[in-house]
Amino acid sequence: MFRCFLVITLNLLGQAVIWATNIVVCPTCAVFSVKEGIQLAQACDTVTVSPGTYSEGNILIDKELWLIGKNWPVLDGEGKTEIITIAANHVQVVGFQIQHVGTSYTEDRAAIRLREVSDFCIKNNRVVNAFFGIYGQQSKNGIIEGNTVSGEAKEEVSSGNAIHLWYCDNVLIFNNLTQGHRDGIYLEFVNGSTIQGNLSEHNVRYGLHFMFSNDNIYRQNTFRSNGAGVAVMFSKRIGMFGNLFENNWGAAAYGLLLKEIHDSQIEGNLFKENTVGIFAETSNRVVYTKNSFVQNGWAMRISGGCQNLKMTTNNFIGNSFDLAVHTSGVDNNFDGNFWSDYAGYDLDRNGVGDVPHRPMKLFSHVVSQTPESMVLLRSLFVDILNFSEKVSPIFTPENVVDNQPLITKFTTYDLRFTQPQRLLSSVVNRKS
Amino acid sequence: MKNPILLLLASILLASCQPSSQPIAYGQDECAHCKMAIVEAPFAAELVTKKGKVFKFDAIECMLDYLRVQTDMEFSMYLVHDFNAPTEWLDAMHCKYLVSEEIKSPMGGNLSAFGTEKAAQDVQIIKGGETYDWASVATLFRK
Repeated sequence: MFRCFLVITLNLLGQAVIWATNIVVCPTCAVFSVKEGIQLAQACDTVTVSPGTYSEGNILIDKELWLIGKNWPVLDGEGKTEIITIAANHVQVVGFQIQHVGTSYTEDRAAIRLREVSDFCIKNNRVVNAFFGIYGQQSKNGIIEGNTVSGEAKEEVSSGNAIHLWYCDNVLIFNNLTQGHRDGIYLEFVNGSTIQGNLSEHNVRYGLHFMFSNDNIYRQNTFRSNGAGVAVMFSKRIGMFGNLFENNWGAAAYGLLLKEIHDSQIEGNLFKENTVGIFAETSNRVVYTKNSFVQNGWAMRISGGCQNLKMTTNNFIGNSFDLAVHTSGVDNNFDGNFWSDYAGYDLDRNGVGDVPHRPMKLFSHVVSQTPESMVLLRSLFVDILNFSEKVSPIFTPENVVDNQPLITKFTTYDLRFTQPQRLLSSVVNRKS
Repeated sequence: MKNPILLLLASILLASCQPSSQPIAYGQDECAHCKMAIVEAPFAAELVTKKGKVFKFDAIECMLDYLRVQTDMEFSMYLVHDFNAPTEWLDAMHCKYLVSEEIKSPMGGNLSAFGTEKAAQDVQIIKGGETYDWASVATLFRK
């Protein structure tokens, strides 16, 4: 993708030297509307918009140009229409405050819509109180970077997604803040994309939601206090690295919900204070390594049809239940993790416990069947129940056992955010 | 029945045995089939078994898929929301359905329900797509 942008950049630079012009729009200028500015522009020109409020309804960008806002000019939809519609390739929209997109049940109105375009860049915009924030359809090779998309959805269900991509390829979603929408980042039929360094919080449903999207990576994102956590569904070959899943509480809330996820890797994530850290269903060939599960209700619930699951070098610390496994799946491996509940010993001091650990308590099985029995959690009866099951397992699956439990936590995985690559910053700085 | 208290008790007992629908707590209830939180009222659906157990769904296509998988249960009610007025439950068997690319439902079926044939056709004129009745939509999604 970088090479692709480099080519475009050089291309644009070359053209700029020859004949690109800069059209300035301001409330007191000769050109006082953004629409007129765009109309006057030739392909490859730049339209620079000065501070002010521009309430012009729907603004259509139908030619290659850069729309640059200086000091946050405001584009106001007055609660009626969609605001920016991009219908040409090589368009940049940078530095606007875009607000008040009207709610509609019959059309998905957005603050910025990408309509079947490629090589786009949506950067450093503030979207306030929009139905949908940034909406990409059938678009590819683009960057959505540094935007703030905040909605006002509280309990109401009539809100759209902050960043919504549908049938898109090769998009970088980077360093955005999404909050107060239905889903923070929603991807449906999106392939080969990277979601990095975003913060998604206080959304009504999911912080991040994948559907039917293959070969994507998301890393170093924070998903916090969303109605139902994060859902990754019906996708293949997904990499999830170094993310933080925090404080997702509720009967239908999961730090991470995996459904029909195959051939994926979940590494170096931190799951902290969720009702369920990870819930996995029908997910095959998934590798869980170097994750930490801290103070969750359930660290992991593995439901029917999960096979070839490999879980190693994870920390399970202070969870009410570490594991609940409801599958007789074959080839599942739970060896080599650290369990704060482990009561064994290590006489030969090789760092590995001498007695296998059974992380699934009988009571977690009982609670899954009858949730009301949760009131007995801290009772003596339940302790006796768990202990007897530990001594001679009857109800819990026999193969849910860690034969090499770690005595100490694995050394802290580096969760620090690496210095992000700033792919297009030089391009933007040149013009503004 | 001579004793009014007995009559009252009997009616309460009978009433509690009657299977009934439940409203959906949006954002809190999860779909019985796909586990997603239910947030979109226009597409929500519900099944009630003969014994009164309620299953809620985030999309009509989820309900149809659930019916395909769960063949051993008997249901007394099949309920959907009218796309235009998603507050009251309608009998799914007597609704008209529209499958349109322009109306995106939560599980990708692009399926919406309408109380009357005219309502479905009115939306079809604007949004395009195909209309179905209950039997044909069930076969369509059972493939």
